[in-house]
Formats: sequence, structure tokens, C-alpha cells
Amino acid sequence: MSKRILQHPAESTTGKRYWRSLGQLQDTPEFRSWMDREFPQGAAEIQGDDVSRRGFLQFMGASVALAGLSLSACRRPLKNLVPFTKGVEWSVPGKALFFTSAMPSRNGAMPLVVTTFDGRPTKIEGNPMHPVNQGTTDVWAQSSILDLYDPQRSKGYLFGRKPSDAASFEKALGELLKGTPDGAGLAFLTDGTVSPTQERLRAEVLKKFPKAVWASFEPNGSELEASAVSAAFGPGHHAVPVLQKADIILTVDRDILGVEGDIAAIRGFAAGRKADKAGTKMNRLYVVENRYTLTGGMSDHRLRLAASRSGAFLKALALQVAKLAGDAGLAKAASELKVAETKIKDRWVEECAADLVAHKGAALVLVGQRQPAAVQALGFAVNAALGGLGTTLELRKTAATPALSISALAEELRKGKTSALFILGGNPVFNAPADVRWADAQGAVKTVVHLSLESNETSVAAQWHVPAAHYLEQWGDALAVDGSHMVVQPVIMPLYNGLSSIELLAKVVGTEPDALALVQKTFVEAFSTQADLTSFWAKSLKAGFVEGSRASAVTPALQVDAVAKACAEASAVRVVENTFELVFITDSKVDDGRYANNGWLQELPDPITKLTWDNAALLSPAAAKKLAVETGDVLKLSVGEKSVEIAALVLPGHADDSISVAVGYGRTEVGSVGRKVGVDVFPLLTAAEGRFRVGVTAAKTGRKYALAVTQEHGALEGRGADITRQSTKQEWAENEANPDYFLKMGIDAHAPANFSLYTNPPLDDIHAWGMTVDLNSCIGCAACMTACQAENNIPIVGKEQVIGGREMHWMRTDRYFASEGGDADEPEMVSQPMMCQHCENAPCETVCPVNATVHSEDGLNVMAYNRCIGTRYCANNCPFKVRRFNFFDYNERSITSLYKWNLISDKGMPESLQMQKNPNVTVRMRGVMEKCTFCVQRIQEAKITSKVHAGDSGVQPRVPADVFTSACAQVCPTDAIVFGDLRNPDSKVAKLNKDQRSYRLLEYLNTQNRVSYLARIRNPNLKMPDAARAGSASKDAHGHHGEHQQPAAPKATNGGHA
Amino acid sequence: MSKSSVSLETPAELKREPLVANNHSIKWVTENVCSIVQSPTPKWWLLAMCITSPIALIGLICIVYQISNGVGVWGENHPNGWAWDITNFVFWIGIGHAGTLISAVLFLTRQKWRTSINRAAEAMTLFAVVCAGIFPAIHVGRVWYAWFLAPIPNTNAIWPNFRSPLLWDVFAVSTYFTVSLLFWFVGLIPDLATLRDRSKSRIAQILYGIGALGWRGSNKQWRHYEMAYLLLAGLSTPLVLSVHSIVSFDFATSIMPGWHTTIFPPYFVAGAIFGGFAMVLTIMLPAAQIFPQLADMITRQHVDKMAKILLLTGSIVGYAYLMELFVAWYGVNKFEGFTFFIARANVDGKGWYQWSYWIMMFCNVISPQIFWFKKMRANYIAVFIVCQFVNVGMWFERFTIIVTSLAQDFLPSSWGHYAPSTTEILTFVGTFGIFFSLFLLFMRFLPMVAISEVKGVTPEADPHHNHPKH
Repeated sequence: MSKRILQHPAESTTGKRYWRSLGQLQDTPEFRSWMDREFPQGAAEIQGDDVSRRGFLQFMGASVALAGLSLSACRRPLKNLVPFTKGVEWSVPGKALFFTSAMPSRNGAMPLVVTTFDGRPTKIEGNPMHPVNQGTTDVWAQSSILDLYDPQRSKGYLFGRKPSDAASFEKALGELLKGTPDGAGLAFLTDGTVSPTQERLRAEVLKKFPKAVWASFEPNGSELEASAVSAAFGPGHHAVPVLQKADIILTVDRDILGVEGDIAAIRGFAAGRKADKAGTKMNRLYVVENRYTLTGGMSDHRLRLAASRSGAFLKALALQVAKLAGDAGLAKAASELKVAETKIKDRWVEECAADLVAHKGAALVLVGQRQPAAVQALGFAVNAALGGLGTTLELRKTAATPALSISALAEELRKGKTSALFILGGNPVFNAPADVRWADAQGAVKTVVHLSLESNETSVAAQWHVPAAHYLEQWGDALAVDGSHMVVQPVIMPLYNGLSSIELLAKVVGTEPDALALVQKTFVEAFSTQADLTSFWAKSLKAGFVEGSRASAVTPALQVDAVAKACAEASAVRVVENTFELVFITDSKVDDGRYANNGWLQELPDPITKLTWDNAALLSPAAAKKLAVETGDVLKLSVGEKSVEIAALVLPGHADDSISVAVGYGRTEVGSVGRKVGVDVFPLLTAAEGRFRVGVTAAKTGRKYALAVTQEHGALEGRGADITRQSTKQEWAENEANPDYFLKMGIDAHAPANFSLYTNPPLDDIHAWGMTVDLNSCIGCAACMTACQAENNIPIVGKEQVIGGREMHWMRTDRYFASEGGDADEPEMVSQPMMCQHCENAPCETVCPVNATVHSEDGLNVMAYNRCIGTRYCANNCPFKVRRFNFFDYNERSITSLYKWNLISDKGMPESLQMQKNPNVTVRMRGVMEKCTFCVQRIQEAKITSKVHAGDSGVQPRVPADVFTSACAQVCPTDAIVFGDLRNPDSKVAKLNKDQRSYRLLEYLNTQNRVSYLARIRNPNLKMPDAARAGSASKDAHGHHGEHQQPAAPKATNGGHA
Repeated sequence: MSKSSVSLETPAELKREPLVANNHSIKWVTENVCSIVQSPTPKWWLLAMCITSPIALIGLICIVYQISNGVGVWGENHPNGWAWDITNFVFWIGIGHAGTLISAVLFLTRQKWRTSINRAAEAMTLFAVVCAGIFPAIHVGRVWYAWFLAPIPNTNAIWPNFRSPLLWDVFAVSTYFTVSLLFWFVGLIPDLATLRDRSKSRIAQILYGIGALGWRGSNKQWRHYEMAYLLLAGLSTPLVLSVHSIVSFDFATSIMPGWHTTIFPPYFVAGAIFGGFAMVLTIMLPAAQIFPQLADMITRQHVDKMAKILLLTGSIVGYAYLMELFVAWYGVNKFEGFTFFIARANVDGKGWYQWSYWIMMFCNVISPQIFWFKKMRANYIAVFIVCQFVNVGMWFERFTIIVTSLAQDFLPSSWGHYAPSTTEILTFVGTFGIFFSLFLLFMRFLPMVAISEVKGVTPEADPHHNHPKH
């Protein structure tokens, strides 16, 4: 294929080196055709409209950029910009260009579309054309853009911790490889991401160096699941749950909607839980878990149970299922399983099993990846007995070739015969299990080459550190969750000359390290059957993935005897009475520590604990009482000779004999953001014991530690019926005919009709922007918060400021625990995204003395930053407390020096971080108020676009329905947030707004919110012992005139509604 | 009372206690008041200035630090957008009420006992308003744009928001300060002339002379002067009511539970008078001890009357507190109920700032009740102690109103504690330094007692003196 390579200016030797042009990418024919293909997200959903769909889209597709308006707010870095002497095709200054790409990850790469302005990527969106995520993404994908621009990224080669250069490395590499012509003494360690090109190069490496050793290690991976699958179905398979096909789902110690799942699972679950109207079919979720997770939060029935006792639960369930389904094989396998003596609520198991069996073929049981392989294998046997194989549980051939585990590699290294070890990504010195003793093993190798984005613990222990290219910087390929082949397309030249892993492997093999050529070669080999490969490549690149390359399901039979054998051979999980089990959880933010230097992630509140900038030992209120600790008391957790000291965080709904703690914190060799954040608990994690350990003792140290929790108060204080409305499927069906059913709950049930003293100017624009948030779909993952942060240039403020209550997130996800009678052991959890409600009768607007916050005709509550003097009166008068004040110059000052006298401290944002900023959004200074704008820059872009399209008439035509959306709505994995034009009857938001479940917060205040919430519906099994509890978070003590003070928190008498 | 019991005899004349005791002459008044200004600087004064002026300086340094770094150096956060700043503002502006009330309202109602204390009270008012004005000015995030508050015609045609109570505040407070300053200055003119005439140093003569505006004491001047004074008194009187009513609108017109209350204007005005009188007494009682020559002018009678006012206004405030609780109970609004009964009164132990509420209740409602007893009103120490309680209580009243409503409002998810920072505390302490420094300067360089007015109430000035039965 022909490709015009634009000449870049020669690399400056003195100036900063990261500014490069995107020209190389911008003018390729595939982009041109891709652009012609009318790309913008959501465009396919245009319905009845004023402009022709085709015309509109052509126009939108070419240059546009839903998120681009002008450069009026952007101050470009002056130093390194070279004006285009020749215009680069497609590039319109100030307009965004979009490129498809993919973010590699262990669960399957995330299909992406990257927004770029003038050659710099600023925002990441999901690829709307890919069936897996359909335009949505997650927290990690959203925040990966910040990793690209991390000013403390590795910027050069290091040899023995001293700066070196690429040429020296090449030379050293050549000598290394010359020493072993057959590869003896060569070892490779990769992470768990699957890249076809890397797989191909691995084969080439092993062909050239047949004696080389290849291992792979993913600290938060699922090795036990892999062995369970291979025990149950034979090797070479992996199991994929298909949640959209499941009517009854039981998860046992598996956070499938959170860190132990993927976006396909989340979307599948949400698809099966749509509550469009009363009586529609929706799935039912049973959750057995040791701590509250996002999955537990969505459950209809939840049983808190220590992870070490989950096997006992599964055994009881399997026996019950076997009995009801008449499955002797399952009964045999289950009875072979040795488990810890555990008291399980019989009726819970019986009714749950009965419900599963009653939905044979549409039932799914998911077992935690930390559970022993035998327990997981038994879980597969239960699914087989429930007829779920091939429907709710799909099996596929594994794409990755097996590799050595890190333990085996460590043994190999310790033999002292390895002369060179290549570590491609990862940080095993920090996050390998303690009993692997990786640091020793690595120390036994003469030369260790570590390829990494940052100089981390492993880098400093290695001889060579090679800076890695970020995935947005270099060509690569990956497989999505559904197995489809995706090209990882770079959108910027490597900022610091980093190498990608395939380039490094190519160097090892001795081929040309041209990433694009390598990726294309893999592509050609994989799709050689295509007639016209050039156009097929171009087509795949513009789609972002290869259509039709989805991995197909296989249907191996369950080998029930093998499962029984595995169960019989597995040793029982011990339970040591009067001690705790310690469950190592994957952190939803820093993962295994790799994202420790990402400020957005560090400051993102954990969806459950709302903890930022730390990890903590989570324990139940009863356990805390027993240990006489409260949140913030430092605990000493000991097992064997090892111990760690970590602050306790009391979490309602936690199992009493269990403590959970997130791994990945306490990094030592890391940039300034991640330094001294949290406690490293990897020393307690062993490969032998796995990801939960029993017999852990906890003791109070007497020390206190300040935890930065963004939500101080988690109880609803009897306000559930006002704030988070819920009902059950059954009660909703009874009230189907009552349009006021969800409207008249809580105080709105007896508040008099509203009237206003003010007459506001009419909101008579042709648009009326509004939003709905479906509480039934929202899982509380907080992807919306990160998307908002990336889109709207929201700064981070640091731990100290978060403790002070000054985090700047424009939207937050409120998380409440509530239960009847205030029972903190078994509460319900409710998540509720909260952002500016864009009140038509806005309390903030009347009180601003300088008219800095006013209303637009299309119904936005807008902020004029330039006019704001910062009285904070608006924030005080906001009933939702969604306004955010710049207490300091968070953009200009380092978060560690905010209190230093302004006049003598350094100011200014690192230039690389400036590159991430959205040029269409003002970067706010200190002393001004800010808040959700409904992504006004996107609204304006869409309006301008449609107005330009209207031509000379000068009349603003109506923007067609749902052609664009806000950042939070766009990212939402469950499509819970919907933004659009309320005045356009074709828009999704207008339709949802008329839903019976739609209600607005604090209606009695007459604020006339433009955001409405759709009440949550729980789907309890009425035969379950805890069925009456469902929806209790929203039950309200509203005894009409008898009730005055609403004193007690999560308390409810039976209120007639809900 | 039946008709038959009416005595036909002339009733016994009520013995009116003289406002200036011990039958002093007019000359004595001049000598005494002027001697404070014209005697050499006393040591205690220097010592006092050495204490108050560094405190004022610390406050100013804190303000510079805060303006240069941002409001973040205070303890405010989300949801507590206001805390000590507006508490201090309302506290000081409340104190600033007593002076104008004494000078204007009591003047119009012919309460002649006011004459010996009105000058000091007015000065105190001005200094309190100076302190008060600091806080709204520096609490904004971008002080350098505070002029956006002024209705300046501009090419952008952007006006301030006339719906905002904060803007009303700007007008109310600046008007109040201006009128109070004029009123005080007009009252000073004859006395400045007296000082000019008595001064021996040339500089003092010139400076007092400038202030005296060429006062010669002619009949015509006195006629104009008294009319001007009367008119200013008439202008000031509605301001006494309006300023604090408008300050209360900051809260009353909002929608926050605990702020959104129609009782606020009268309750705030009563509270302001209450707090202002306490501060007048706080300054006056020690001053009367330091300057024995004033003892015959500031008598027990004054203290007794002011204590009675404290009792009255304290009880009004107490009534307002109880009425708020009643309405919260009667209104069956769960959010309001929560604010009053839980966040403030803490009936179930979940309130965060109940100590503030109960300090306020004790200091403002309970402590002045001892003034039902005449003995207590006559006991300077008891009066002084109660005044300190009231000073503390009135500060906590504003703190309670502002912080309890913000810290725990509608959505429990956004609840947040507030704690002041050192800078914030020192800024408030600094305003006391400013206040007392200004007052010390006033005592040293201006006549503390309105000489000409007191002369008017001396026995000598009474044409019937010593002739009770004419």
C-alpha cells in the first residue's frame, strides 16, 4: 500500500522532544475512507429528522468533531509548535480527528476511538462499531490517556540505573544474543495481554532460540480458572459467561460486574435487566461474597460469606441442584469436595437452587477466580447440570499458547544458568507472590532487560531499562473479549522514543523493528484467505477491528469424572476459627500497581468504599467492634512470620470472619503521584495459598491513619424514598396503572403543589437538553467520573485536599448503604450518579451576586468563569451540592505545595499534561466555581454543525436526535446515563423522561430539574428468606402528619410505597 | 383599683436620678473628658497597643497569605462553602448595631441617658463594621474582581444580579457604614472644636481644626447642627433595622433547611442589638474603671438600663430559637426537622455540631436571665461575665446557623465536616486586634464622651435644677 510519509522536523537536541506531528497517520487513504464513512458515534441512531440523514452524516463525518469548537480557550505551548507550512489533509486547527485503536488488557482489549486535536490525543471513547462495547469504555481505558502524558514516564534507556541510549542498548543486545546461538540461558517474561503479533514473534523467537524459556505472569490474572476449565473441559479452552442469555445468575465470590469481569459481562447483565415497563422479564442476581462489590450492589439476594467458606456454599448448592435436576454425576463430584465446616442458611441454598433449576438453560453460576480450581470446576459442573453450556456459558479455544508460570520461571532462574532475561512489561519485583522470591531469582540472572512505561521496582533491579511505547504511540494488535482481531493504531509519535514489546522482540529475532510491518504481516497471515488484503486492511482499520473475526464457540463435553477427581484430590480449604481470612482483591483503580502514578485513578473514589489515594483493610462492623477499631485505626495483619500494618475501613455488609485488602498499593519506585500511597500487601500473598489466606490475625496497633474518603456519610437517614427510589418487580406490577407511583414517594407524597415567586425568562429554544439516569442499570462503576475528568479538564487535588473535602469531580457516584432497622451487617447498597441537575428554577442562579451563573435558552445552567468572583453562595444554595470550587490553583500548583506562599513557589503545569487538555474547555483558575456543564462544548459543536449545514438561512435547525452525547453518557457501560434533547420526541431521553419510573430529585423544592432518575427495580425471589428486604433502602417512614423529625437513620416502617 | 382609693393629694414626685451624678458643673465635664486626650500618654495605653497592634498585624498577614494563595488556606470545603468567614462577618456586623441604635433610636426617643455612652458606642460600631467588612471582601475567591459587585455601567451590559441577597448586603452594609460614619463625625464637630481650642501644640490645633470644620459655636451653627443631627438620626434609624434584616436574607431567601426561615429578619435584628450591647458593655465597664473621671458620667443607671435591654433582646432571641423548633416540628418537613432536631439540637446523638447549638442556647438564652434581678444588674462583674457569654453565644449562633445547615443538608452523600484552619482562626483573632487598636486610638485622640451632649444633661444645664417644685 502506498503511504506518504511526511517529514518531521529534525529532532531538537536541546528543546523538549515530545511534540511530534500526526501527519504520518493523517493522510493515509484508509483514514480518508474511514472519515468518509460518516463516523461519529451515535450517528447510526438518527431517527426522524429535519435534515436528511445521509447529508447530515457526510457533513459530520468529514472533519468534525463532536467535541471540537474552537481554540479560543486553548493556550498552545509556544515553544515547540511549528506551523504547518503545508496544510495537513483532514487536519483543521481546533477540530478533532478520530482514530480507531484498542487498549490491550488481560481480559481482552478494549475497542477504542481516540479523539485527537492537532495531533495530540485528548480523549478516549469506545468504538461504537464494535459489538463488545458499542461505544462504551471503562475507568482504565478512560484514564490511560493520562498515562501517555505522565510527566514522570520513563524517558530514556537506563543501564545500571544510569542514563544510556538506544545505540548502546542495541550493541549490548547484539552481544547478549551472540553469546547463545541456540537460546540456552535466554528467558522471556511477558504479561497476560494477548497480541497475535507478539504470539507470532514468540514462535519466531523460539524457533531461532529453541532453548529459550518463555513465561508469562499477570498478577491479577486467572490461572486457577484456566486450570479449572482445563480440568472440566480439557486443555486449551476458556470459559466466557454470556450474561444476556441468563435469567437467573448466581455469583459465588465473583465480582463479575467489577474487577473480575469485563465490559462484555457488564453489558450482558444490563441487557438482561432492562426494566422498560412493569412486568417485563428481567434477570435475577444472587450474590454470595465476602465484601460488598459492584456485583453485590446489583444483587436481588445477597449472602455474605467468607471466601474460604464459598466452597462449602457451592458444595451445598451443587448437591441441591443435583438433587432437583437428578444429576448423579454432579452429586458425586460435589460430595467428593472437601470443604470447611460452615453453617449455611439452608433455605437460602434450597430456594436459590430451586430457582436455578427452574430456569434450566437460562441459569448461570459464576465462581470466583480466587477459589481453588476444584471448586471452580465444580461450578462448571453445576452450569452443565443447569443446561447452561453453550448458552449462558460459552467455551472458546484459548488464543494464547501456554507459557511457564512465574514460579516455574523463578525456579529456572535460580539455577543460575540464565544469562539474559527479557521482561516485557509488568513489575514482578513488586507484585510477584512472596513465595516466588522473585527479586532473588531475578538477581541470579546476569543481564535483565526490562521494558516498561515507567522506571519501577523491577527496572531498578534490572541492568537494562528500556522505555516502552504507550499503546497510543506504536502499532500493535490485540484480541477483544469476543476474540475479534483488532489493530492497535497509534495516534501520536512516541513521545520519548519508547519501544513496543513487538519491536523489542523483532530486534531479538533480528528482523526489522517496524511495528506497522510486523502487525501487517500478522494480519496478512491471519486473513490470507481475503481476496483483496489491502482494502481489507483498510476496512478493518477504519472499523477498528476485523469484522467476522470473533472467536467461535466450541462445545466440549463436561468431563464430570475429571471434575469429581479434581474435587476428590483437592485438599480442603482450611478455616481457622477465631482468626480472619485475608482476601486479596484486585484494585479497581491501580490494578496490580501499574496505574499507581495515574492521578485520575488515585483520586477516583473506589466505587464501594469511596476511598481515594489509599488501600485499606476492609472489615465488617462486627469485626471492627470485636477488634475495638474504627475506620482509620491501623491494624497489624499477621500470618506466619509476615505482617503488614494497614488502616482499617469499616464496610457494612462485609463478612465478619473476613478482611479484604486491595493489592497494588505501597509502590516505592514510582513517580511522585504514586509515592507513599497505600500499603503493599504483596508480602502476605503467596502463590501456594492463592488470593485468600486463612489464619490471619489482626491486632490494633493504636496508631491512627488518615484515610481520604470522599463520602463521609453512607446512610440514607430515612431519605431513601426521596433520593433513591426503588420498587420490586412484583410491587411495580401491582402499581402499573398508577402514573404517580414513583412520583409520590417520600416527602413528595404529601408536599403541597409548587409555585414559584420568580418568573424566569422562558426557555424557548428549539432544544431542551436533559438527562436521565437509570438507577436500574447503573452499577456504580464510576467510569462516568473518569470520562468527565478527561473531557472537562478537571484537575486532581491530592490526598490532603480530598480529606479536606475539596475534590473537584463534577460528577460523583453516591453510594448508600441502607436497611430496615439500620442493620449494618446486611444492608442494601445503592449507587446513584450525581451531577448538576440543571434546574430550570435554579437556586444557584438567584443568589449569585454577579450573574456568573445564569440560564441559557436551551435549558443549561451555565457558568461564566470569567465573571465568577467566587462567593460560593451558589454552592451553598445547591440542594445537590454538585458545585465545585477551586480553593487553590489546582492546575498551576503542584498538589504538594498548595500551602506554600504563592509568590515564592513554582507554578505551571507540566507541558505534557497540557497536551491532554481538551482545547474546547476552559482550564479554570483558582477562586472560581465550576460544575457539570452537560458538556456544553459538545452541544455547541453539534449546534454549529447543524447550523452550518442549514446554509445561508441563518436559522438554527434542530440538532437531530441522539447524534451526540455527553462524556458520561458516552462512556457508560450499561447505558444508564442518557443525554439528549427533551424537546425532540424522537430522542431517547425524551422517551425515557416519560417513563413511569422517571422521577426528579427533591421535587418539592420546585427546582425543576432537567436530570431525572429512573427508579430502580429489584427482582427478588419471594420464596427466599430475605425477600422482604429487597428495596428496603428506599422504604420510608412517612406516617404523614404523625411523623415530624425523621430522626433515625436507615430506618423504615412500612410506608405503603416502595 | 377602685375610685375611692385615689388620693386627692398631689402624688409624691418620683425622684429622677440625675444622669450626671454628684452635681458637677459644665466645666467639669469639659475638663474631665478633655483631660483623657490631653494628658500625657499613659503607660497602660502603650502596653495595650503593644498587645493589640501585633495581633492586628498577624490578622493582616493572614489576609495577605489567604489572598495570595487562595481560599483553600481556610478550612472551608464542599459542602461548607461558608464557615468562619461569614460567621465573623455577621458577628461583627451585629456588634455594629448597638452604636447606631444608641445614637439614633435612643436620640429620637429622647432617651437622654444615651449621651454619655453614644460616642464610644458609635465609634465601636464603626470599628466593628470595618472588621465586618473585611470578611465578605476577602472570602471571595478572586478579590481583585470584587468590583463586579458594583453596578458600573459597562460596554458588556453585564450588571450585578439584583436578585441576590449578597448584592443587597453590599448596598446595605456600605450605606450603613457611610451613614454611621457621618453621624459619628457630625456629633464630633463641637467637641473637636473644643479640643482645637484647648490644644497647645500647633499640629493638634491644625488637625482638630480641620475636623472641627470651622465650628465657632454660634447660635446659627448650633441650629444647623442640631437639625443635621436629627436628620441623620432619622436616616440611621431604619438602617438599624434594615442592615441586619438584609444580612438575614442571605440565609432566609435560600432553600437550605435551617436557613430558609421567615423569622430571620426580626430575630437577626434582636440578636444584633443583643450582641452589640454586650460589646458596648464589654468596652465600657473596663473603661469606666480605667478613667475614674468618667465614673460620674457613666453611672450604674446606664449599666442597669443596658442590662435590661440585654434581658429583653436575649429573650426575643430565645423566643426565636424556640419558634424555629416549633415550626420545624409543625411543618413536618423531614429535612428541616433533621436540621433543627438532629444536626443542631442533637436529640438522637447524630448531630455533628450540637455543642455549638447548646453553647448558643446557654449563652444567649439562659445567661441573661439573671438580669431579672436588680442586684445582678448592679453587679459590674456579673454584668461583665454575662456580656462575655453573650459575645461568645452570638458568635456561635451564626456558626450554628451557617455550618450545621451546610454540613448536613439534603443528600447524605454530600455531607461533610468542617474544621477551621490556623489561618482562619488567626484572621478572626486579628480582627479583634484591629478592633481594639482602633478603639485605643479613638480613646487616646478623640473625646470618648460627647462633651456638648453631656453638658446638656448636667444638673447645671437644667434651668430647674435644685428647684424640683417650681
